[in-house]
Parts: sequence; structure tokens; C-alpha cells
Amino acid sequence: MLLNFFRSPFSSLRLSLLLAAVPALLFLAGCDREPQGPVLKIGYMNCNNEQETMQRFAPLTRYLSEQAGVRFEAGEFALTHTNSLLYIVLQHNAGLKLVAADKRGHFGARSAGTLIARKDSGIRTLEDIRGKRLVFGPAMAPTGYLAQYDLMLNAGIDPETDLAYYAIPSGSFKHEKVLYGLYFGAFDVAAAPALDLELMAADGKINPDDFVVLAQSPMIPYCTFGSSADLDPAILARVRKALLGLKTQDTVEIDGERVKVLQSAWVEGFEELLDSDYDIIRDMARRTNMPPYQTF
Amino acid sequence: MTFDRFDRFHGLLLLLVAGGLVLLLAVAESGGGRSAAGVDKAMEQDLDYQARVAFVQKLYGPVEDLRRDGQLQQALLKLDELERRYPGEAHGFILRGEILSRMGVLAEAVASYVAALRLNGDYVDARSPLSRQTEIRQLVDDGLRILGGQARSHPENVSLAAAVKNVHYLQSRLAGGCE
Repeated sequence: MLLNFFRSPFSSLRLSLLLAAVPALLFLAGCDREPQGPVLKIGYMNCNNEQETMQRFAPLTRYLSEQAGVRFEAGEFALTHTNSLLYIVLQHNAGLKLVAADKRGHFGARSAGTLIARKDSGIRTLEDIRGKRLVFGPAMAPTGYLAQYDLMLNAGIDPETDLAYYAIPSGSFKHEKVLYGLYFGAFDVAAAPALDLELMAADGKINPDDFVVLAQSPMIPYCTFGSSADLDPAILARVRKALLGLKTQDTVEIDGERVKVLQSAWVEGFEELLDSDYDIIRDMARRTNMPPYQTF
Repeated sequence: MTFDRFDRFHGLLLLLVAGGLVLLLAVAESGGGRSAAGVDKAMEQDLDYQARVAFVQKLYGPVEDLRRDGQLQQALLKLDELERRYPGEAHGFILRGEILSRMGVLAEAVASYVAALRLNGDYVDARSPLSRQTEIRQLVDDGLRILGGQARSHPENVSLAAAVKNVHYLQSRLAGGCE
């Protein structure tokens, strides 16, 4: 059952999958070429807020509908779009199959977690963070929490006992709050995804020269499309082909407007990874006692 | 005044000699000029090239410094900054490829080198001060071994196939192939 993982203790962290409203919205918006065939549902991970997620993925959902020839409605979802940690949780708990991974930023279909400090803080190495205040991203974020927690453990630093304290920002835009929390001095050290450093620097929100990267995790897969174990293989193949074939200039019509699918989804393309590429995350989850391997 | 046939014959000869002289002068003038212009142009090209190399090395110096210090993420961010100012500069792609390769992001590193070589073939020219032949050869070896091995195990994987195609492109450029 795909929703099993919501029953884990981490459900309180509000890391939820949005359900069928996206496709419903699409078809209410008017589609003059409604595809025939099976009815499917895509669960999109909610990054910041529901409205943003709806807008972000509506064009991609429309595109997949057109390319794969399927309709989307409420129900047990057949496809998921989540971060790579949730992918391995769903894969472990419900036999989710790998479809494709998002490509975005320097590392394509992979990303990394960094531990950073302000350059003027005097903190220069990982060893210097003992007794300091640290801010993580969301607790189920592979490159905003898991990777950095693992980095510290590997360096002999136990975040539970060796820091002054650590915190996780509340509400939405947690990754940005992490950077600002460090920037404005509320924390000494921040667990920032490498991708967010890249994006925020590109937007002029931060100046990379103001920070020092104390440590960086190995590369791990980025956000990932998965399919339920019982999805028709022919549909899975069509969806995968459509995703891998997406080009920057591909558009769909949303509310009478031609919208670029990839740009809307904040994605530069898709890559076909191997399930074994996710073993590195599985190892991190085991070492950090995270789902799906946590024990109490 | 009358001219007999003898006079006309001499006149014709004089005209032919004068014409020949003019032609010779013209040919000599143009040949020497071309040679001088050729020297000037070659020198101009050499100067342009040296200036470009010096500029590129100075421009990307901070990235090289960060890379040498092992601050790879910072080096990438600095590279982004320069790329916003000089988009599409081949040297930026080369440095990005080197950094990504060191970070173990092999397919992306290969793609970055491919982008660089499509813009500027100097990086596979052993005589160029910009040459990266050794690094590219190493990358090709790694690519064929790692990406090629994965692609053989998963022949249906189109992303791996595309990555191996990029490795083959680098291999062909090392072998002297061009665009």
C-alpha cells in the first residue's frame, strides 16, 4: 500500500503527497482532446504549498496525459513524484518502481548536501561545529537533512549531543529559511542543499563569497518519478518515454495559454537512473536511523 | 609625318615592352604586398590568440584557485558567476567538466567537455596552451569503463546510452575527428 509510510512516526513532519486535484484541475480547465484509456492518479510531493505545487505540475501532468494517452482522477495513485528518500521509503514499503529522475542544476539527476558557515564566523572545518547552533532543512529532505546528518556521524560528530542545539524551520520555503537563518546570524551552521546554494546565488539572494563550505556529501539521486507496482507496464513505458523525451521547448495549453512544461515544473529534463543508484541513500538512511529502516 | 611598316613594327615592340614592364611591376607589387599582409595577419592572429589565452586564464583564475584548494562547490558557484557574464565560453565548460569529474559526476562531466569541444577544438590540440588532451583521455577511459559497463548491463537505458555516446564523441575528437 503506497500510503503506508504516512503511518510512520515521520507523518507528523507533514511531508505529504498531494493527490488527485492536479489532474482534476487540468480536465476542468478544458481539454478538447481528452485521452481514452485507463484512469491514473499522480501524487506530487508538496514542497512549499499546495497552490504552488498545483501550478508547478499542471503542465507536466497535461503533457503526460497527452503523450501517454491516459486520464487522471482521484483514487489510489499510480505515479509518484517525490524526493529520493521518499522514493526508497515507498519502494521499500509498497514496491514502487523507478520511472525517471529530475535533472536540475550542476549535477543533473543528482545532488548533494552541504554544511556551511558564514565566512566571518571563524568556523573553518567540520570539527569547529561542535557546540554550535545548527539549522537543518525538512527532516525528510535527502540533501537538507539526511546527507548532512550522515556527514556529521561519519566525522564522529553526534548531532544529538555534540551541537549546542539544532532546529528545523517551520512552514514553507524551509531551504531558503535555512540560508537566511545563517545569513542573519540566528544559527552558526546550516545544512543547505547544494542545489539551493546554486539557485539562490543565481537569483542574487545570496553571495557565495559570504559562505564557507565546511563539508559536502557524496552525490545522491535527486527528485524521482515512481510508479506503483501494479501499473500496466505498457503505460509505465509510455510515461517514461514521454518524460525522457521532454525538451526545453515542449509546451502544453493550460487555461488558454501555451506553457513550457519543463520550465513550469522547475526541471531541466529527466534521466533514467538505476535502482542501484539509490543504494547510497539506503546506506545513509540505515546509518542515520531514518525511514524506512528506523528502529526504536 | 608618315610611318612606314618598319616604324610601326618598332612602335608595336615598344608598346609590348612597356606593357610587359607595367605588368611585371604590378605583379611584383601585389606579390610583396600579399606576403607582407600575410605576415601581419599571422602575427595579428597569434597576438589575438595569446591575448585570449591570457585573458581566459586570468578570468578563470579564481575558479582554478578554489579548485586547487579542493573547494569544489565554491568553484562551481564562482564559475556560475562568470558564466552569467560570459555565457557560452568554452573554457568555463572545460573547468566545469574538470570539477564535476573530481566530484564523481561522470556523465555530467563528459557532457560539459563535449559542450566545450563543440565550441573550441583547441582543448584537444596538443600544441595549444589550453590543451586538455591528458585529462580528456583519462575521462574517456573512465567513461568507457564505468558508463560503458553500465550501459552494457542495461541496454534498454536511454540515458546511459546517451552518456556513452558523449564519451565516444570525446574519443573521436582525441583521434582527430572534427565537427
